[in-house]
Amino acid sequence: MDIVKLTINGQEITADKGMTVLEAAQSAGIYIPKLCYDPDLKPYGACRLCVVEIENIRGLPTACTTPVSDGMVVHTETPAVSEVRRTAVQLLMTDHPCDCLICHRREQCQPFDICLRSVAVTDRCVTCPKNGQCELQEVIDYLGITELPFSRTTRSFPVDTSNPFFNLDRNKCILCGRCVRTCNEITGVGAIDFAFRGYSSRVSTFGDKPLVDSTCQSCGECVVHCPVAALMPKDTTQPVREVATTCPYCGVGCQIYLGTRDNRVVTVRGNKDKPPNNGHLCVKGRFGITGFIHHPERLTIPLIKKNGELTQATWDEALGLIAGRLDKYNGDEVGIIASAKCTNEENYIIQKFARVVLGTNNIDHSARLCDAPTLAGLGQSFGSGAMTNPINEIHNARGILAIGTNTTEAHPIIGLEVKRAVRSGAKLIVANPREIDLVRFAEIWLRQRPGTDVALLMGMMRVIVDEGLLDPTFISERCENFDAFKASLSSFGLDRVERITGVPRDLITDAARVYASSKPATILYGSGITQHCHGTDNVIATANLAMLTGNIGKPSTGVNPLRGQNNAQGACDLGALPDAYPGAQSVTDPSTRQRFEAAWECPLPSFPGLTLTEMLDSASKEKLKAIYLVGENPLLSNPDTKHTRKALEKLEFLVVQDIFLTETARLADVVLPGATFAEKDGTFTNTERRVQRVRKAIEPTGNSHPDWWITCALGQRIKGKGFDFEHPSRIMDEIASLTPGYGGISFERLENGGLQLPSPTPDHPGTPILHTSAFTRGKGQFIPLDYKPPAELPDDDYPLILTTGRSLYHFNTGTLTGKVTGLNALQDKELVKINPGDARALGIDDNDMVKVISRRGEVTARTEVSETSPAGVIFMAFHLAKSPVNMLTSPALDPVARVPELKLCAVRVERVPPGV
Amino acid sequence: MTLDEIRTRARTKWELLEHSDRPRIFIGAATCGRAAGALGVLEALEAALAQNNIEAIITQVGCIGLCYAEPLISIVKPGRPHIYYGNLTPELASQLINDYIVNDKPRPDLALGSVGEQSIEGIPQLWELPMLKPQVRIALRNCGLIDPGNIDHYIANDGYSGLVKTLEMTPEEVIEEIKKSGLRGRGGAGFPTGLKWEFCRKSPGEVKYVICNADEGDPGAFMDRSLLEGDPHSVLEGMLVGAYAMGATEGYIYIRAEYPLAIERLKSALRQMADYGLVGDNILGSNFSFHIKIKQGAGAFVCGEETALMASIEGKRGMPRSRPPFPAQTGLWSKPTNINNVETWSNVSAILGRSAKWYASYGTEKSKGTKTFSLAGKVNRTGLIEVPMGIPLEEIVYGIGGGIPNNKQFKAVQTGGPSGGCLPANRLNLPVDYESLAEAGSIMGSGAMVIMDEDTCIVDVARYFLSFTQSESCGKCVMCRLGTKQMLEILENICNGKSKPEDIDLLLKLSEAVKTGSLCGLGQTAPNPILTTIRYFRDEYEEHIKRHHCRAAVCKGLVTAPCSHTCPAGVDVPRYIRFIARGKPAEAVAVIREKIPFPAVCGLVCFHPCEAKCRRGQLDDPLAIRALKRFAAEHDSGLWKQRLKRAPLTGKRVAIVGSGPAGLTAAYYLAKLGHSVTAFEALPEPGGMMRVGIPDYRLPKDILKAEIREIESLGVEIKTNVRVDSTEGLFKQGYNAIFLGTGAHQGIKLGVDGEDSPRVKDCVSFLREVSLGQKVDVGDKVAIIGGGNAAIDSSRTALRLGAREVTILYRRTRGEMPASPEEIEEALAEGVQIHFLVTPSRITSQDNKLSLECIRMKLGTMDASGRRRPEPIEGSEFSLDFDTIIPAIGQRPEIPERFKLTTSRGNTLQIDPYSLATEREGIFAGGDAVTGPASVIEAIAAGRQAAISIDKYLGGSGAIDEILAPPEKAATFLEEAEEKWRPWMPALPVAQRLDNFTQVELGYDEEKAVEEAERCLRCDLEE
Repeated sequence: MDIVKLTINGQEITADKGMTVLEAAQSAGIYIPKLCYDPDLKPYGACRLCVVEIENIRGLPTACTTPVSDGMVVHTETPAVSEVRRTAVQLLMTDHPCDCLICHRREQCQPFDICLRSVAVTDRCVTCPKNGQCELQEVIDYLGITELPFSRTTRSFPVDTSNPFFNLDRNKCILCGRCVRTCNEITGVGAIDFAFRGYSSRVSTFGDKPLVDSTCQSCGECVVHCPVAALMPKDTTQPVREVATTCPYCGVGCQIYLGTRDNRVVTVRGNKDKPPNNGHLCVKGRFGITGFIHHPERLTIPLIKKNGELTQATWDEALGLIAGRLDKYNGDEVGIIASAKCTNEENYIIQKFARVVLGTNNIDHSARLCDAPTLAGLGQSFGSGAMTNPINEIHNARGILAIGTNTTEAHPIIGLEVKRAVRSGAKLIVANPREIDLVRFAEIWLRQRPGTDVALLMGMMRVIVDEGLLDPTFISERCENFDAFKASLSSFGLDRVERITGVPRDLITDAARVYASSKPATILYGSGITQHCHGTDNVIATANLAMLTGNIGKPSTGVNPLRGQNNAQGACDLGALPDAYPGAQSVTDPSTRQRFEAAWECPLPSFPGLTLTEMLDSASKEKLKAIYLVGENPLLSNPDTKHTRKALEKLEFLVVQDIFLTETARLADVVLPGATFAEKDGTFTNTERRVQRVRKAIEPTGNSHPDWWITCALGQRIKGKGFDFEHPSRIMDEIASLTPGYGGISFERLENGGLQLPSPTPDHPGTPILHTSAFTRGKGQFIPLDYKPPAELPDDDYPLILTTGRSLYHFNTGTLTGKVTGLNALQDKELVKINPGDARALGIDDNDMVKVISRRGEVTARTEVSETSPAGVIFMAFHLAKSPVNMLTSPALDPVARVPELKLCAVRVERVPPGV
Repeated sequence: MTLDEIRTRARTKWELLEHSDRPRIFIGAATCGRAAGALGVLEALEAALAQNNIEAIITQVGCIGLCYAEPLISIVKPGRPHIYYGNLTPELASQLINDYIVNDKPRPDLALGSVGEQSIEGIPQLWELPMLKPQVRIALRNCGLIDPGNIDHYIANDGYSGLVKTLEMTPEEVIEEIKKSGLRGRGGAGFPTGLKWEFCRKSPGEVKYVICNADEGDPGAFMDRSLLEGDPHSVLEGMLVGAYAMGATEGYIYIRAEYPLAIERLKSALRQMADYGLVGDNILGSNFSFHIKIKQGAGAFVCGEETALMASIEGKRGMPRSRPPFPAQTGLWSKPTNINNVETWSNVSAILGRSAKWYASYGTEKSKGTKTFSLAGKVNRTGLIEVPMGIPLEEIVYGIGGGIPNNKQFKAVQTGGPSGGCLPANRLNLPVDYESLAEAGSIMGSGAMVIMDEDTCIVDVARYFLSFTQSESCGKCVMCRLGTKQMLEILENICNGKSKPEDIDLLLKLSEAVKTGSLCGLGQTAPNPILTTIRYFRDEYEEHIKRHHCRAAVCKGLVTAPCSHTCPAGVDVPRYIRFIARGKPAEAVAVIREKIPFPAVCGLVCFHPCEAKCRRGQLDDPLAIRALKRFAAEHDSGLWKQRLKRAPLTGKRVAIVGSGPAGLTAAYYLAKLGHSVTAFEALPEPGGMMRVGIPDYRLPKDILKAEIREIESLGVEIKTNVRVDSTEGLFKQGYNAIFLGTGAHQGIKLGVDGEDSPRVKDCVSFLREVSLGQKVDVGDKVAIIGGGNAAIDSSRTALRLGAREVTILYRRTRGEMPASPEEIEEALAEGVQIHFLVTPSRITSQDNKLSLECIRMKLGTMDASGRRRPEPIEGSEFSLDFDTIIPAIGQRPEIPERFKLTTSRGNTLQIDPYSLATEREGIFAGGDAVTGPASVIEAIAAGRQAAISIDKYLGGSGAIDEILAPPEKAATFLEEAEEKWRPWMPALPVAQRLDNFTQVELGYDEEKAVEEAERCLRCDLEE
């Protein structure tokens, strides 16, 4: 980078070329007042406070917009500069409730001072929630303004309180535009902009509607960037202490601070200094945490079912009962369902409990419902099933293929990266049957029919091969089995592909060319790829595509599965799987087994256990008799709810350990109260393989305990040894000793930030990019593919395809988000999104109550008639128990990964007549 | 097709049209013409032609610029010149068809001018008209002359020849040509166009844009609209030239959606260009391709700023951004972009069509070429004009614009719209070029030029422009959004009488900060109207702030009724007019007497500034306020005395020196306040100038005497034949305070040789001697030098003394004469001759005869008073013989040295303008002694202020106002009024006047007075 030399206030300074004068001054420790400047945003130049004098430049340029140049001579504190700054601030004060700012005795002012009683409260800093953190105050202090030569011009806007989490008080707004620019430049939502002109200018939504009726996604990014109190959270309680930890929602693993006061979490803020989110948060992370932690329905005491009723019990009673019952069963009679929401340590302990205490490999968790094909598919192609590249590289990609991922809703922070890439010129290809938000940013939108991804991707690869856009060197040096794969392309002529996918062949060609020629290019996918009965094939197809163009092993490339839950990666890594010990080490490999038998000092079963779906099948056949279930809610999350309920009801003994009495927990014989992420220590491994700390911010609510503590207590009761851990860090030490990829992980090393796996040794710096010089399995394997149609296709009785997915405001089965009042205010029901043409044909209007019926069951919900759904396809999210969409979904399984085809089943829709 | 082929065809068509054997009619059908009713005229023309079975060719053309004469047509009969007719109505239009086309009567009475080789009797050459002659039409070369909807018209008139030349040159050569022409951006900032193009050309990038800025938003500006409506191709050709020079392949015209006709013209022009291969791919078969899109703006003023304009094209909110980077580097969609304004593009095509050298031959050294202006406001001839750079402003205002209508005074010319400034009369000699205007505090701007007369309040103008910029600010930067708001607030306070004395300084300070601190041109120039108006009209601001007085009687917060507000003494005119209308003249007198003790005198001689501001004057005639006052005074019953109060004696004594209107008014009010007042009069009779300056035929002595008697009856003692030489003496006599109202009784000398002759008598002495009954012999031939009321009074007095030939010599023209127009009329009616543009240079006397040597004058450039300076014409000397010469060029006060008071120019006394206090304690002064020769009513106003100040000085409250009239019945503002003119004032027939001093004006009878009073709009009752 070029370096330039300049002089500021007589001081010689070096700065990077491309820096602004303001940035150069700041880096040299020279203060220049500013209000509209924000390091996260593009220069704006509106507040006029950073004006400076620069020799040989006319007038007073703004430091925030003027680039440095060599030999520049800058003066930041001249009389002319000071005059403009003072006038600007005084003008702002005329329009801002500011009486305190120029009060001669504000230093001594107490909240009960007499002046407060006689005037409107909005006139005063001392009653402003931003008092002490207000940037306008800071600037006024700096300039030493003590009087206001102008008359106060008062505007009285009604405060927009429509958003459940924050208020917009335009009376305090200084129109610095930071919120507007944040909403455009950072989030790409553009819900707010300036409206009207002159003195009437104000921040407004489209049509000047309340915020809640706009396209605002309530992420609160604007609130964070507001220098004054115009945008303020509704809850203004100030924390006493802050604890750095990891967000418990999706797989991004955002780094946050929990602010606490009186053993309550009162604030959440993003950690600006740490990846992957660098301060950004979505609505759930920012506003959806305190609500469930302190929800009155939290489980605080163990419950035992007596005469069909769950009644309160002591820990001793409950643990005693469980220990007694579980100990009776053979290994093949019990199963354990672990949780992708629990920490790594807890997953480790629970799988150890299964294998060591219960002597079974019948352990699985909900990654089975979405991510299993990734492990299987990428495992075959590359040798390891995980995101190949870090999140923070996405914005540098020049090409992005986002297939089967509604990124902005399911992984909002990764969505920001994608939008950032597009803003800086990347070409985005979205492949999705639904018109998701990302389509707005896409160069090409491929609207394939649900379940036809293999055909689509093979079609693209056919174009790449036919047009010679492939990377022959990479293929020959790094990969194998190319010829067989190439041969399999022959059946994917574009005519056929167009017929199968419904995507015009020209568009497929364009997409192929764009992906192949915009390097580096990255592939992002989500459950739209995996939740199919040929999910593994889908995954393999993406891997083939990346290898074909050499887009792997390099920065901003790769195949990047976006995992749904906060610790899906960790739960898989730590062996909460029926076929693998921690570190994806096969249970059928004798030497591995021997190593674990030696470490755990007991014999271990030699054959794989049952998967989650198989356990329930087995239970329904009354072969499996007991399940110990931690932090999962299969009644809502598994397909074919009727079948799931039947299976659970047939169990002799069901233990559910959770923080709320979930739908599944109501069926349990014993319910154990777990602790939330805020109440325990541990680690989560996020979707990009980054192991990050979870830190205890408050004591567990009531008599609840962390899951690791509970499982250890049970283990000790039954087995006695191997479960006497005083702290999760000790568990991690054991993990590190047995799990190759985690060999270098310890709580100590994670203190200053996460480490990306694999990190085999304590001095290994972690692995941001996989497969850089060789694939995990040596050579990348091209795997020939055939197109297989979905398991259940529409017919006369069930003429529509139902596809399912996530929405922004809720998470998984709503166990957490459903407890957050504000999130419920933004979305309190699932909607059936139906294409206008289909709606017309069925006589259905917007907001009609309809019945959606599949071969397995039916649900009722209201409609949203929307072009976002293609003709013949309806969409529902699966979060809320009111409309349990998995009543409908198909249990058809991927033959390899055993993932159910949640993304696709045949249904019909009937209007429910009003009043019925 | 090559352009040669196209041109040949176009020329053939044009020739055929030119030599058609049918009559042709051109009608100005641009927006301005249509607004004036051109389409109605067109219908009438077509109907009349059809009725007469005449086949004529009617062509709708754009605006030729004579907006004041719209609707405008020109008729060409085969073999005859074009004859232009203006101000047409449908009736006149059909009449013309009949008269000229059918009956071959060209109607010179309706014609404006003709164009063509032959001339027609009684019709001047159009291009020789004062409005057109000084103009040079380059940008507007085709406007109003061709059919803008027909590309062949443009091509036949050498259109697109510039493009052909361009394509034969390298881009660099084209840029060099533009640089040589000296063309600067006509959007207002005046950046050298060639240089700007060069930056864009040199900016790296394959895609570049060229933009035509047609977002004309200045209030009063319509140059771009007219140009696009009248000759769209000249602009489009310019864009092609620019695109070629800069390497752009795509262009935009950003035009406000409020210009539908211009948009339509552009669209059809682009269609026709495409047909001829003049736009699109491979233009005229070359490698040069250029596509033009029209982008309609939503009318935001700020979108005229280039970065905001580009944001708007990109679909964003039109808000400016900081530069650098400049559009030439990073413009539209971050590509190198060049923006020029409509007029610039039209000039570009002209330059390439002719040559840079030709273009640069117009204008000044730094400002080459011409500039279009939309001349609007209070000027006789409004219109769209194009003048060479460097032309003086006055040439535009007076030469082209024909001066100010209705004999009003010019006040200011505003250039540059809301970003520009207001220049006063003494800057009218300013040459119109970028540097001179900037130096004067204004800007060239895009060409809005608004003329304002005395009825415009300058503070209100600043307020208006600020309210415009405030509401058009994009709101982005603090300085502009809130700074303009504060400035506007302060100005509104000033206009509403809520201001503080420090507001002017605050405004100045704030203006400077906004100017330096704003992000874009809008904010940086928004303070200009304030800065220039304070710079040139600070006294008006101060009047508003300190005296709550708006001399134009405009500011609503200060003015209830313009007449009362304008009356120096504040007489409640509408109220007394209402009493007259209700047949209660005595009550009317009571109202008048609440403010002045001389209702009858004022009814006869007041110069009635109230009438000049009467709102009725905007409808038909101003109300005859003075005449109504006279009527009331003539029908006084003394009712006013019923409520009159006199305070108990205070024991204080006040000496009044001089018993003119100022002194006696002060005496009257001081006496009512309980002080003992003595007035000292040097002359044998009281009344001052009312007695010895105004001839009897205007103010009969007994009327004056009666009013003075009323004053005496309140206890005022008047000592005549007492000349006061020392104020000390008065204090010694026990007077506690002194008012000096000694008037201006000394005539000013001509300053020419020979004026010491006894037959040369200054007008003051002359009128005084006559008034006091002294025998004055003037002989047969009398010359009066001067143009004021005293000159007229002297002339008419001389006639009455028996002179047979009375001549007034005045060095300017009638338009500049300060005397009341009705007085001039009367003098002329009585036989006085006036020689204008003549000034005396020498007097020689021989045998009781005087020979007056004179020089003829011509009017030169504006002087500081805003009038054109008379300059002698060399060699024009001539002599006239007279018996008596009466110089009437001014009067000055005589201030005895022993008063020990400072005097200023014209020997007037220096006082505090608000309290009338002199520098010496206890001594106050007012009237002509302070102001120089002025009016009775101004002297009365001074007397009132003196009474207030003296009373306060003596420990009183200074409350002199009282209610003398009974309460009136409720009345309301007259919302709608039918047109009705004021009745003539009956006067003594001229034949009966000349041998006597009988009153000339006879006054209204009751019927007339009531009828006239009923015309009052009752502005004071307006909500």
